[in-house]
Amino acid sequence: MNAPQAADPQAADPQAADPRAVDPQPVTPQLVAHLAATLDEAALAHRTVARLTDTTDLDLAAAYRVQRAVIDRRLARGEALIGVKMGFTSRAKMMQMGVDDVIWGLLTDAMLVEEGGVLDPAELIHPRIEPEIAFLIGSPLSGTVTPAEAVRAIAGVAVAYEVLDSRYADFDFTLPDVIADNASAAGFGFGTWHDPAGLDLSNLGLLVEIDGRVVTSGSSAAILGNPLRSLIAAARLAAEAGLELRPGWVVLAGAATAAMPLPGGVHVRVSAAGLGRAEVTTR
Amino acid sequence: MTVTETETAMNAIDAAAARLLDAERSGVPCAPIRDLITGVEDAYAVQERLTLGRLAEGRRLVGRKIGLTSAAVQRQLGVREPDFGMLYADMAVPDGAEVPVGAVLQPRAEAEVALVLEADLTHERHTVADLIRATAFALPAIEVCGSRVRDWDITLADTVADNASSGMYVLGTRPVALGGLDLRLAGMVLERRGEPVSTGTGAACLGHPLNAALWLADTLVRLGRPLRAGDTVLTGALGPMVAVAPGDVLEARIDGLGDVRVAFAATNSEEETS
Repeated sequence: MNAPQAADPQAADPQAADPRAVDPQPVTPQLVAHLAATLDEAALAHRTVARLTDTTDLDLAAAYRVQRAVIDRRLARGEALIGVKMGFTSRAKMMQMGVDDVIWGLLTDAMLVEEGGVLDPAELIHPRIEPEIAFLIGSPLSGTVTPAEAVRAIAGVAVAYEVLDSRYADFDFTLPDVIADNASAAGFGFGTWHDPAGLDLSNLGLLVEIDGRVVTSGSSAAILGNPLRSLIAAARLAAEAGLELRPGWVVLAGAATAAMPLPGGVHVRVSAAGLGRAEVTTR
Repeated sequence: MTVTETETAMNAIDAAAARLLDAERSGVPCAPIRDLITGVEDAYAVQERLTLGRLAEGRRLVGRKIGLTSAAVQRQLGVREPDFGMLYADMAVPDGAEVPVGAVLQPRAEAEVALVLEADLTHERHTVADLIRATAFALPAIEVCGSRVRDWDITLADTVADNASSGMYVLGTRPVALGGLDLRLAGMVLERRGEPVSTGTGAACLGHPLNAALWLADTLVRLGRPLRAGDTVLTGALGPMVAVAPGDVLEARIDGLGDVRVAFAATNSEEETS
């Protein structure tokens, strides 16, 4: 963005002179690249940045372009796209954000924590963890799909956790901000894959334990009433983004509880009824 | 305690009981009673005063409800223990039946695991084994809580005195043996028009619904009215309590236990406008 020169007050639009005023300029490819760099560098440096919408008028489409540009920077560093994460899958969260649709973020292999592995919170800003249900894609899925088609495309289902880390202070963001920030994605892990045949995923109890103590619990029903609906939404968003959910990809369907702060030096275990557990230790 | 002090305390307990009873009978919520009494023991004395009155009216005691079983609610009220209230036969509603308008003051709903006993629990301290052996079966339940205290402005003393903010309750109809259940990881969803309005797990109830029932069994022996064969125990909410409105129909599903419904009568004025 071209900041007006303070030395030439005549040239400055009084609105633009206020650094917090919304910039009316169109979201050019250059601006998208600049915003993506801001977020990506913040993540690399483990520090927060001002909300993009404080200075730029971002609509949802532009926000998704920034998200894609953030991911492209990661892919350019050698990371690979291995899945998607769904956000705002609880009615409470949707109402809180004033939205009526889910959002998504993209997952790369660098975000995957190996099962039972170690995560260093020092490489993150203010990490939180939440219990999720994950799907392993077995056959390509994209566009408007029926529940039957979605179920057929699933190679496995597992209990999972997602580590969130907003690049904005205090997780304080508007909808376009959080979309641009790849839906706060930072890390994820999952347990053993299970055959979905015969499993009713609509009301599984999930628990998060830190050092053996339950810190939160909930039901998979909090994920759009049934995590399968989240997978169907992922297929729809994939088509809108010109992508498809590919075999081997992981879809994090959404959280069963509110996210909990993730401190250093602890052991976290996420359990789901019938799906076992996923564990991670923090340094 | 001198005679006068005892009299003052007794009068305070009578006054608190009278205020709650008046709210129940008039259908007009009252001011909190916490200023009238001191401490939770007094609050249970108020509850006992109301219980004796209800039993004298011929109401049949059929069990207990356990309240304040979630960490969040305990934090909110600044307490570290659950509480309990009495369940009478006339508080039970059949699965799917309608709760009349005004039957419960300021109604709110929550889904719970109900245990039905087939043996007395009269030991000073019970083990989980005692409890499992005494449990005939479990059922899914919806508790329709209510508060006689205006705007649910309650402390521990207020809710204990007010029969643990009980109202009515609905039990599911397919008994399930404990042996086949993982109650700790059992998912719970309470739905209104197909939308989840409350979700949770068995672990949200003191870590496990049986933990809550154990606390109740021991506490009731200490207070002299132990759990008996045939009693129903509502063990406590598995997720947040939700406010209900006239016309609502709620369905609760607890994984492994099945489902149960409750309906709330629409008011006449609403029927006319809808």
